[in-house]
Amino acid sequence: MFHWLEKHPFFFAVGVFLAIAFAGLVEILPNFAQASRPVIGTAPYSTLELAGRQVYIKNSCNACHSQLIRPFKSETDRYGHYSLSGEYAYDRPFLWGSKRTGPDLMRVGNYRTTDWHENHMKDPTGVVPGSIMPAYNWMFTNNADINTAYAEQLTVAQFFSVPYNKPVPMKDGSTKIVKMGASVAEANADALAEAKVIAADMKDQNIKDAIARGEIPEIVAIIAYLNSLK
Amino acid sequence: MNKIYLWGIIITAAMLGFTYMSFDFKHGLSDIVNQLAVAGAIALVLITVFVVIKYVRQMQVDTATGELADENWDGIGEYKNELPMGWSIMFLGTMVWGMWYFTIGYPVNAYSQIGEYNEDSKILNDKFEAEHKSISGERLVEMGESVFLAECKVCHGISADGINGMAANLNVRIEAKSVKYAIENGANNHLLGTEMPMPDRNGLFNNNTGALITDAEIDAVASYVANGMTGAGADVFAGTCAACHGEDGKGMEFVAPSIATFTPELVVNVLNHGKKAAIGEMPKFDRLNAKQKEAVGAYITSLSK
Amino acid sequence: MENRPLEYDYTVAKMFMLTTILTGIVGMLIGVILAFELAFPGINTILGDGLAEYTNFSRLRPLHTDAVIFGFTLSGVFATWYYVGQRVLKVSMAESGFLMFIGKLHFTLYVVGVIAVIVSLLAGVTTSKEYAEFEWPIDIAIVVVWVLWGMSIFGLIGIRREKSLYISVWYYIATFLGIAMLYLFNNMEIPTMLAASPAGETGFGAWYHSVSMYSGTNDALVQWWYGHNAVAFGFTVPIVAMIYYFLPKESGQAIYSYKLSLLSFWGLMFVYLWAGGHHLLFSTVPDWVQTMGSIFSVVLILPSWGSAINMLLTMKGEWQQVAASPLIKFMVLASTFYMFSTLEGPIQAIKSVNAIAHFTDWIVGHVHDGVLGWVGFMIMAALFHMAPRVFKRELYSKSLMATQFWIQTLGVVLYFTSMWIAGITQGMMWRAHDEFGNLAYSFIDTVTVLHPYYTIRGVGGLLYLVGFLMFAYNIYKTMTSGRRVEENELQSASPMGA
Ligand code: HEC
Ligand code: HEC
Ligand code: HEC
Ligand code: HEM
Ligand code: HEM
Ligand SMILES: [Ca+2]
Ligand SMILES: [Ca+2]
Ligand SMILES: [Cu+2]
Repeated sequence: MFHWLEKHPFFFAVGVFLAIAFAGLVEILPNFAQASRPVIGTAPYSTLELAGRQVYIKNSCNACHSQLIRPFKSETDRYGHYSLSGEYAYDRPFLWGSKRTGPDLMRVGNYRTTDWHENHMKDPTGVVPGSIMPAYNWMFTNNADINTAYAEQLTVAQFFSVPYNKPVPMKDGSTKIVKMGASVAEANADALAEAKVIAADMKDQNIKDAIARGEIPEIVAIIAYLNSLK
Repeated sequence: MNKIYLWGIIITAAMLGFTYMSFDFKHGLSDIVNQLAVAGAIALVLITVFVVIKYVRQMQVDTATGELADENWDGIGEYKNELPMGWSIMFLGTMVWGMWYFTIGYPVNAYSQIGEYNEDSKILNDKFEAEHKSISGERLVEMGESVFLAECKVCHGISADGINGMAANLNVRIEAKSVKYAIENGANNHLLGTEMPMPDRNGLFNNNTGALITDAEIDAVASYVANGMTGAGADVFAGTCAACHGEDGKGMEFVAPSIATFTPELVVNVLNHGKKAAIGEMPKFDRLNAKQKEAVGAYITSLSK
Repeated sequence: MENRPLEYDYTVAKMFMLTTILTGIVGMLIGVILAFELAFPGINTILGDGLAEYTNFSRLRPLHTDAVIFGFTLSGVFATWYYVGQRVLKVSMAESGFLMFIGKLHFTLYVVGVIAVIVSLLAGVTTSKEYAEFEWPIDIAIVVVWVLWGMSIFGLIGIRREKSLYISVWYYIATFLGIAMLYLFNNMEIPTMLAASPAGETGFGAWYHSVSMYSGTNDALVQWWYGHNAVAFGFTVPIVAMIYYFLPKESGQAIYSYKLSLLSFWGLMFVYLWAGGHHLLFSTVPDWVQTMGSIFSVVLILPSWGSAINMLLTMKGEWQQVAASPLIKFMVLASTFYMFSTLEGPIQAIKSVNAIAHFTDWIVGHVHDGVLGWVGFMIMAALFHMAPRVFKRELYSKSLMATQFWIQTLGVVLYFTSMWIAGITQGMMWRAHDEFGNLAYSFIDTVTVLHPYYTIRGVGGLLYLVGFLMFAYNIYKTMTSGRRVEENELQSASPMGA
């Protein structure tokens, strides 16, 4: 039979395809719907947080940082509760990473703060002697791309029913509404308002000036994102 | 001796040596995962070296034999040799093992990684309770230091000096800047464990003068507190602050925290609620257990003595 | 006609040989820079603070992986296809104007794609998915390039004289089908430029930006179904295609066993796809998927080893050739490293081992055993074998080849031993609890301890790069000043100058 296949390329190719297509169907499909159901307490990203997430991706922080806490005592001691599938429901793409050159960041919002991030992103070794993380100075001058973040919010709300402007349940029984602007201008204004709160905790005068001018430097967006990781 | 055996021995010895070097004997001996990982590494070295030597020997001494197939591609022929026995047996073996594993050994969903985690952490937590629950004194301080070095030094620095003002310097109770900030802005960081704000300067009367505290007085009292309750400003302190923080600044239960020394309770409260003030923001530390908090409190208290 | 040797047309093969070498240099140079950035972080700003955005580790890392995968490796696959394909199907590209055209178009669009990739990754345009970083416009270009390659494969097969497909062709076909399927599914994404705000605005935000069709755990499942098999169909299947042609051809030996070829091929096809779960052990994908990943990884040893053993046994009794020819040394060591990494992988796929190995440099070590020792060696060997036949000249220098072989072998050894130590050390330090039951090390302790190993790895990588430059120089000199040779000198062992 195989000799015959080797003389009939078309059927050979079909045979190969069948052999390789099978596994995906069995392993990926059955769980698809269940894995994407959000757990209680998981809310969509705000415009500013999403812009920060895009800064994170743009700079490939995931090359060094994971966002996946494995169920080992040593990891939950270090990073907090192990990861649950539903916590990633609004993560497109997922950012688990595959290399921990730096620590896991899945819940870094719980144990690092705005001013610490500010110091650290500007000069990691100044804060953590021996750190090998690069300094991200340009984030203090580049502005975040709020428009693209807003476009992404609209896209996920439309195609994947991500619940913007709708109440989502929180762990303490309350609900939370994550706002998505009704226009580009409104989205930008909302992001700026959120950015102001963060910049108030920062030291760099240039950042405060930029915010006062209505600009949002990338560093503010990425800190908003990092703070949201809980 | 054939060179290939010599190489095999050298490589095996070197790789096993490296693996030995990497093993964390100090902490990792009882960890089954460590042992299995190292067993895997050793198996990897041994199997590779063994198999490579086997085939190199065949290249050295055997000769190619067998019946050639009729076909020939660009001059490349093909023998009709049978499958190598060992390979076939192992292929079949792994397939049978795989099926056994999946259907009988550990059938779908018989294993739960979360279940395993719960068991493991229960064992470790129970052990912690049993062995460390009653630690006190010097040992508690040592334990606190170990927590500090793992969790706190990223912000406060290895010598707890706050790394040039980026976080609080824990070798002294408080710096003038922070005192000033507390007076000017008030404070509400749950330092007593509950919501218990300190008024800002508009609520702070100097009983000596009968008026609101002045800029000069703030500076004076700030340096008085920061200097360990010595020097000028004692009168302002007595007149304004002592009512709540006590004559000696050591605080009063339910009224105001100690600003003369650290106390373990104060540290525990900071760890439970975080703190946001002049220097920056300190996160709260939910993932430490009560004993660890107490221990690190003891350690920090010991630093400024 | 039948009696006269065919005049094969290597135009397209030559073009891809060129890109193999160029992207190889670029990709490996970036690899070396990355390695030294981890050892000496000051190198992140090597071109000054102003350019640090483009020279820092995180911006460059995807450029390294994609340059060596989609540049070096794929070019090598295409170059060898346009060489091997004609020869084992006994048909010349020159016989079909159409196929020539497709081949050249394939190359041209490929080069455009490579440039687009470099520019976009430097600019930080990425979707973050490993080995699938590209945004949708580049995805489309890649699909077109791939379809053109498919046309070339099946077009050539369509006009073949040799009715029965040689083993290498099986593997090339599988490469084509595998990547096609995987790439399409992993790159399902929606461009955000389609968004319209409630206020009716459209067309705002970056036009190239997109969002994945899958979220969270599902995205991870699809990504590592892809990622694992991108390794399979990028770093394994087409490289096996190469060795099945170039080793017997260069050594003049017949393949040891057809049956072994057959079982290894179909075994590999069937088993490989199931093993992707080993990238997701202890994650939030269901336990049973993880278990499958582990089991199939172990089963996978055998079909992988089948090919390697078949190659080693093809050299049975031919040790004098191994000793004498640096070209054959490359290939024999390549199959040895192939065996090593396909045993290392499954061992790392065992859950308890993965608990230590995952996220550490041990994985990076495993990666580079495979890519340096197997993929890199095999592609260079293939190009060495092709060069005299393509340029009708003798290989410029055998002694240079031999020196290169030892330098690079030392490089690979330094790379994987240092990462072996680094990974196991770090993995254990992360897990360690001290006498009080507290974490024994803060994260940074587990970073600073790696400095010596990162330095050694950098040196190993540098040696490998130096070897690669020697390779490039040797090919260049072969092209320009090697002794001219006749067809009859090219039957099996490649002619080499001293
Ligand atoms: C070359 C690898 C590397 C890259 C790239 C990198 N980091 Fe890091 N990161 C580290 C290392 C190592 C540490 C631990 C030492 C330290 O805290 O600086 C770290 C620590 C951190 C921490 C502190 C987490 C903690 O628990 O202490 C944060 C937050 C962080 N990085 C964010 C980022 C962000 C955001 C980016 C991308 C813009 C990034 N990192 C890129 C290596 C890296
Ligand atoms: C009405 C009572 C009251 C008076 C009067 C008062 N304090 Fe306080 N003080 C508090 C309380 C309560 C807190 C704890 C607030 C919190 O939880 O953050 C506090 C906190 C502080 C802190 C912050 C400690 C830290 O770790 O940051 C400082 C410093 C301080 N007081 C100094 C002073 C000085 C100096 C004066 C006099 C000029 C003064 N206080 C007067 C009640 C008072
Ligand atoms: C993300 C950084 C960060 C980490 C991690 C951190 N701290 Fe802090 N900590 C700070 C900052 C910033 C302050 C100063 C707050 C202020 O007073 O402005 C502070 C203040 C404190 C104070 C109060 C000092 C005072 O005078 O009132 C204590 C006590 C303290 N930290 C203990 C700890 C302990 C114990 C740990 C580890 C378990 C820890 N910190 C981890 C940032 C951090
Ligand atoms: C039997 C064959 C193999 C198996 C079972 C296997 C298994 C594995 C495992 C378990 C990991 C680590 C996953 C993790 O914990 O992060 C891994 C990673 C990797 N392997 Fe293999 N491996 C095999 C062969 C190869 C070969 C031959 C190559 C290359 C030539 C290769 C390239 C890689 C790469 C590039 C990664 C890194 C993926 C990432 O980015 O995380 N593997 N492999
Ligand atoms: C000159 C030699 C090379 C050096 C010094 C080098 C160095 C590096 C470094 C430093 C990394 C990042 C590891 C980390 O994040 O910790 C890396 C990743 C990687 N390299 Fe190389 N590299 C070299 C050659 C190659 C070649 C030739 C290939 C492929 C053919 C390759 C494929 C990869 C892959 C797939 C990864 C990603 C691994 C992962 O994510 O787990 N490298 N390399
Ligand atoms: Ca990776
Ligand atoms: Ca894509
Ligand atoms: Cu894999």
